[in-house]
Amino acid sequence: MKRLKLLLTIALLLFMLTSVGAQDVTTVSMWFSEGSTLDCWGPIMMEFNDIDPSIQLEIVPQADTWNVTRTAVAGGGGPDIVRTPGPSYAYALAEAGLIAPMDAFADEMGWGDFFFDWALDLGLVNGQLYSLADELETLLLYYNTDVFEANGWTPPDTMEELNALGEEVAAAGYIVFSHGNASWRGTNEWFVGEYMTQLAGPHNVYKALTGQLPWTDESMVQAVEQLDAHMQAGWYGGGIDLYFTNEGTTRRAMLADGTAAMNIEGSWAIRGLEEYHGESGQGWDWVPVPSHDGTDYFTIGMGNTSSINANSPHPEAAAKFLNWYFSPATQGKMLTSCRKGPAPVAISEDVMGDLDPRVARVYAELSDASANDRYGYTTWTFWSPSGFNYIIEEVERVWVGEISVMEYLEGLDTLMTAELEAGNLPPIPTR
Amino acid sequence: MAIYLQKIPTAIFEKVNDETWRRKFLRNVLIPWIFISPLLIIHILVVAVPAAQGIYMSLTDWSGIGMNVNFVGLENYSRLFFEDETFAKALGNNIIWMAFFLTVPFILALFCAALLAQIKRGGMIYRSILFIPYVLASVVTTTIWKNLLNPRQGIGAAMDSLLGLEDVFGVAFLGRRESALISIAFIDNWHFWGFLMILFLAAMQSIPPVLYDAAKIDGANRWAEFRHVTLPGIRPVMLFMFMMVAIWSFLAFDYIFLLTQGGPAGASEVIATQLYKNAFYHFQAGYGAAQGVVISIFAGFIIMIFVTLRRRGWDI
Repeated sequence: MKRLKLLLTIALLLFMLTSVGAQDVTTVSMWFSEGSTLDCWGPIMMEFNDIDPSIQLEIVPQADTWNVTRTAVAGGGGPDIVRTPGPSYAYALAEAGLIAPMDAFADEMGWGDFFFDWALDLGLVNGQLYSLADELETLLLYYNTDVFEANGWTPPDTMEELNALGEEVAAAGYIVFSHGNASWRGTNEWFVGEYMTQLAGPHNVYKALTGQLPWTDESMVQAVEQLDAHMQAGWYGGGIDLYFTNEGTTRRAMLADGTAAMNIEGSWAIRGLEEYHGESGQGWDWVPVPSHDGTDYFTIGMGNTSSINANSPHPEAAAKFLNWYFSPATQGKMLTSCRKGPAPVAISEDVMGDLDPRVARVYAELSDASANDRYGYTTWTFWSPSGFNYIIEEVERVWVGEISVMEYLEGLDTLMTAELEAGNLPPIPTR
Repeated sequence: MAIYLQKIPTAIFEKVNDETWRRKFLRNVLIPWIFISPLLIIHILVVAVPAAQGIYMSLTDWSGIGMNVNFVGLENYSRLFFEDETFAKALGNNIIWMAFFLTVPFILALFCAALLAQIKRGGMIYRSILFIPYVLASVVTTTIWKNLLNPRQGIGAAMDSLLGLEDVFGVAFLGRRESALISIAFIDNWHFWGFLMILFLAAMQSIPPVLYDAAKIDGANRWAEFRHVTLPGIRPVMLFMFMMVAIWSFLAFDYIFLLTQGGPAGASEVIATQLYKNAFYHFQAGYGAAQGVVISIFAGFIIMIFVTLRRRGWDI
């Protein structure tokens, strides 16, 4: 009997101790897409748990993260950290009151000290900070250095040079741009936004986004006509019908094995290039996408955003995690280890020094472009969801000859004017 | 209260006091309802309530995020039928899809089931082989066919290479407007027709053999047997499947979305893929809900046709 009493007392004490311990630990939940990205990012993010044992990060893998998150958050649940595919999505959640303002945390933790000024502006809704942009991206012109060397070609600076080079590349029997949208139809929008920035100029795009210039302006028409001309010439993927059937893996393989000479794609492609070119043994490099006058414009894109759920029971703990995650040190580590596009924060030059010079150059040039008014706009970051989905779907009708470029832009103008009036456009940093 | 009670016909009181009636009522009315009520409650919660919500949402401008919902009346329906050109195109594609699935798989399934019905030994092996595609997940089926139809590495490219030809068989079936929808229907049918064949085969095997014997005595050949015995014998199953396939044709989504996402240039867009894009890409959930209601109305219309035929004496 005595032994039983002793055991019960020990059990009670243990229960009380574990209960007290459990109460002291705050769990911050985050939902993340399953796959290779999580395999690399996950272990680095979990290092946060070693810093402060009282706050523990829990990563829950999801198959379709955005749709699951959107539904759960709308129902009053969801994770503490709400990730969205871009500022326009965060904007919609903020407007619906589903994510919490973070201005107090930003002031307390000094986020303004390490985020670029324009980057915090991207998360503003009605003057309050609701989201932090992540995964800085830009589009680049990649090329196969072996193919270029063998043919004595040099990368183009202007669109005129690109047109001349493209003719030569096609005549030599290569595919000009290794491309295809079978895996991701959104590929279409990369080119529309890029050609607009490079040919109409980022200032005109800014004016159009802010309602000061119609989307049917001559400069926009010429930009989309140029893209259409490249499509009609079969430069993308080897022909329009092939462009519609080429998978992402085909795209990578064609550039790596020298079937294609060039590829216009985002900075996210670097990881894949390293893998595919590592296998083929052929070299790669990049230059800025050629512009109308040779100026190096870089479109800015954000791969996703992070916010705090309005129903999170512990927003302070969530903010502490965000403070650690977005710190230049963590972002630098994820860039070097996983080739993750960093958040728009000032990463130290030591970190950049350890990188492949081609990768380091992307972020150095991007930083320089954003400081010197040479930055442009990616559609998925600065257009509303309706706007960029129109771009994706309707541009195919231009390419197959169903509608004219002008009809396409008239439709875009009508839609974007309505979106602007309805306040559905994400914040556009003033330039 | 007393006044109201006085108004109730005395026959009711007499019935309630009647022990036999009470037992019958309990056994025939109350107990069945009690047993079915859990299912009924679940059905109301997960089908009826969301359906009613869907109808309501189709009358609003709901974005799909948050609770900012404004009533817009029939605006979404007006836009759908009078302004949105892509809806008419998607509806047209649904009708092509329906025409394909009401003919090709039915002919294939009937033909193969009629042949398999003759096989007495080893028939199970054939049946299993032909049924296997039906149990494959759509993601698996589409991945297989994407690779097979790949114009650079698929069977077409292999045939070109074998025969020394260039781009003759290596055609981008899924990348051409004129062939995309039919190619997807072909792939979906590859997965589907085995299921239909099994149903027809089961129906054929339930036809009494004496009918075939009688037909033979009357001098019927194989075709006459098929036409005058087999087809009438499986008619209820066939007509039921006609109705189901017609309804399913308006719900077509997964194969199209996995293979082309409605492209190229909307060539394979159907109402369900459009609905998905409106609700989840364009943040126009109210408009998407209106498309959902329209699909339900089409399905209801098809059911109504079959109910009418049944009332007129058709054996469905």
